[in-house]
Amino acid sequence: MENKLKKYEKIEFLGEGQFATVYKARDVDTDNIVAVKKIKLGSRQEAQDGINRTALREIKLLQELHHDNIIGLLDVFGHMSNVSLVFDFMDTDLEVIIKDNSIILTTANIKSYILQTLQGLEYLHLNWVLHRDLKPNNLLVNSNGVLKVGDFGLAKLYGSPNRVNTHQVVTRWYRAPELLYGAKQYSTCIDMWAVGCILAELLLRLPIFPGESDLDQLTKIFGVFGNPTEETWPGLKSLSDYIEFKPFTPIPLKNIFTAAGDDLLDLIEALLVMNPIKRKNCTACLQMPFFSNKPAPTVGDKLPLPHSLRTMRDLDKPSLKRKLLDTAEGGTLSKRLFF
Amino acid sequence: MMSSRVIPDNPLSLSWQDSVWIPILNTTNVMEYFSQASNPFYDRTCNNEIVKMQRLNPEQLQNMTGLEYVLLHVQEPILYVIRKQHRHSPQQLTPLADYYIVAGVVHQAPDLASVLNSRLLSAVHHLQSSFEESSSFAKYHATKGYSWDFKSQRANIEKKKEEKPREEQSSLFQRQRVDMLLGELIRKFPLPTPPQPKVAPALPIKAEAENGPSESKDVKVEIKQEKIKPPPEKKPRIH
Repeated sequence: MENKLKKYEKIEFLGEGQFATVYKARDVDTDNIVAVKKIKLGSRQEAQDGINRTALREIKLLQELHHDNIIGLLDVFGHMSNVSLVFDFMDTDLEVIIKDNSIILTTANIKSYILQTLQGLEYLHLNWVLHRDLKPNNLLVNSNGVLKVGDFGLAKLYGSPNRVNTHQVVTRWYRAPELLYGAKQYSTCIDMWAVGCILAELLLRLPIFPGESDLDQLTKIFGVFGNPTEETWPGLKSLSDYIEFKPFTPIPLKNIFTAAGDDLLDLIEALLVMNPIKRKNCTACLQMPFFSNKPAPTVGDKLPLPHSLRTMRDLDKPSLKRKLLDTAEGGTLSKRLFF
Repeated sequence: MMSSRVIPDNPLSLSWQDSVWIPILNTTNVMEYFSQASNPFYDRTCNNEIVKMQRLNPEQLQNMTGLEYVLLHVQEPILYVIRKQHRHSPQQLTPLADYYIVAGVVHQAPDLASVLNSRLLSAVHHLQSSFEESSSFAKYHATKGYSWDFKSQRANIEKKKEEKPREEQSSLFQRQRVDMLLGELIRKFPLPTPPQPKVAPALPIKAEAENGPSESKDVKVEIKQEKIKPPPEKKPRIH
C-alpha cells in the first residue's frame, strides 16, 4: 500500500464531483501522466453500506475491459478508508470541444469522433456491458485525438432475460424514447440513441433535444420525428408510462442538418429511430457507407483541440515548463473530467 | 465527385431561379439566395453550409479546407458572380466553377471548350442552312442550264420576315427598369417644350401625373358613350 501511495506524484487538482475528487498525477515509475480519482467516503450512513455503488461499478467492469476507445483503469489502491482509482489521463471531452466556437467540426472530424465512439461502444456491447450514460461530457479526448468512453458509474451487464432495470438512466437529453415511456427491459438500443443525439450535437453544436422535463423531452423528440404509432412501434401502448401526445408533423432531417451529406443523414436516421427494435447496433452502423466514403476520418493528431489546450501543446516540451503553465491555466482545464 | 452526384445532367444546360427572391436580391443576401436547398448548383456539403449549420463565425471559412462558395463580383442590381472553389489552406485555392446570376437567374459559366464547341456548331449549322436555302432557289433548264429563281418563293420569304419582328413580351423587371431609366433621364433633361423659366416644368409634370388616371377614366367613359350612342344616331337616319 505504501508503495502505491508514493507511486503517484500529484501534479494538480482537476475537479470535484459528487462522489469523488480528481487529481492529475505522474506515475513515478513510468513517468506517465494519469488521473487519480479519489472516492469520497460520504456521510457515515453511506459509509456503513461500504464503498459507493458507482465506484464499485467502475472497478468491477473496467478491470475486465481493455480497448483503445474505452477509458483504461490502470490501478486501484486504498489508503486508510479511502479508495482511489487510477485512469488514463484525458485532456478534454467532447462537451468542451462542442462548446468551443473557435473549433470547426468538419465532416471528417465528426466522422473520426463518432467512429471511435462506435468502436468503443461495439466492444462494450459485445462484452455484454451497457454504458447507460453516454453524453458528450463522458466521451473523453486526449491531445493525441484519441477518444475514450469514460464514466462507467451507471454501466451494467445486460442480457439476462426478464431482468428488470431502472429506466431512470441516461442524462435526459440523450435518453431514448422507450426509457422516457418507462421501459424496464431494454438493451443496447438506449446507448445507440444517445450516440445519435451526440452525432446531432456535433453537427449542430447544440443539443438536438434539450428537454426541460421528461415529458418535454418526448415533445422535443416527436417535434422532429412525428408521433410514434402502434404501426411504427408495435407494443408502444403497453409501456408503463405511455401517454398520448398532441399530433406533431415530422420535419425532414435534411432541413435540420442542412450541411450533412446523404450518407451522414442515413447514419443519423439509423441511430435515431424511435422504435428500439429498428435501431441499428454498433456493428451495423460501422458497416454503413458513411465510414467508407470520402472524406476519410481525421487522423488523431490533426483533430482540433480546445483553445485552452492549443497554447499548451505549442509550448509543451520540458516537463517543468508544462507544470508551471498548467498551474497557471489550471482553471480553464477540463474540470469535469470524471464527474 | 460529390458535385457530380448532385447535378446529374450537364450543368451548362441548367438554370435556376426563385421568383420570390428576385425582387429583393442584393449584395448582402445573394449568397443566401444561392445557398437555397433547391438550387442544383449548390452542394450543401460545402464549408459554407457547415459554418451556417454550426452557427460559427463566417470568417472561419478561411481556416477550413475543402469546398466553398464566394461572391466574386457584383454589379448592382443585375449581375452577381459566385465562385465555387476548393480551399487547400488560407492562401491556396483552386477555382472549380463560376456561376453568374443575371436578373435572379443562375447559370453556370461555361468553360472555353464548351463555348468553342457551341460557337462552332452554330456557325456550321448556319452555314449549312444557308446552303440549303440557296440551293432551293437554283433552277435547271435543259436549254438554259442553271439559273437563280427567286420569284416563285419570294412570298414565303416575306411571310417569314413578317413573323420575325414579333418580339417576346418584356418581363416585369425589364419594364420597371426601363421606366426607371426613362424617369431618370427625364429628371436630368426636362422636356424643352415650355419656353417659360425653370419653375414651370415641375408643375406640368405634376399635373400630368394627377391627370393621368383621370384621363384614362375619361377614355373609358368615352368608349362606353360611343357604344351606347350609335343606336340613336342610326335611328333618325332610318326614319
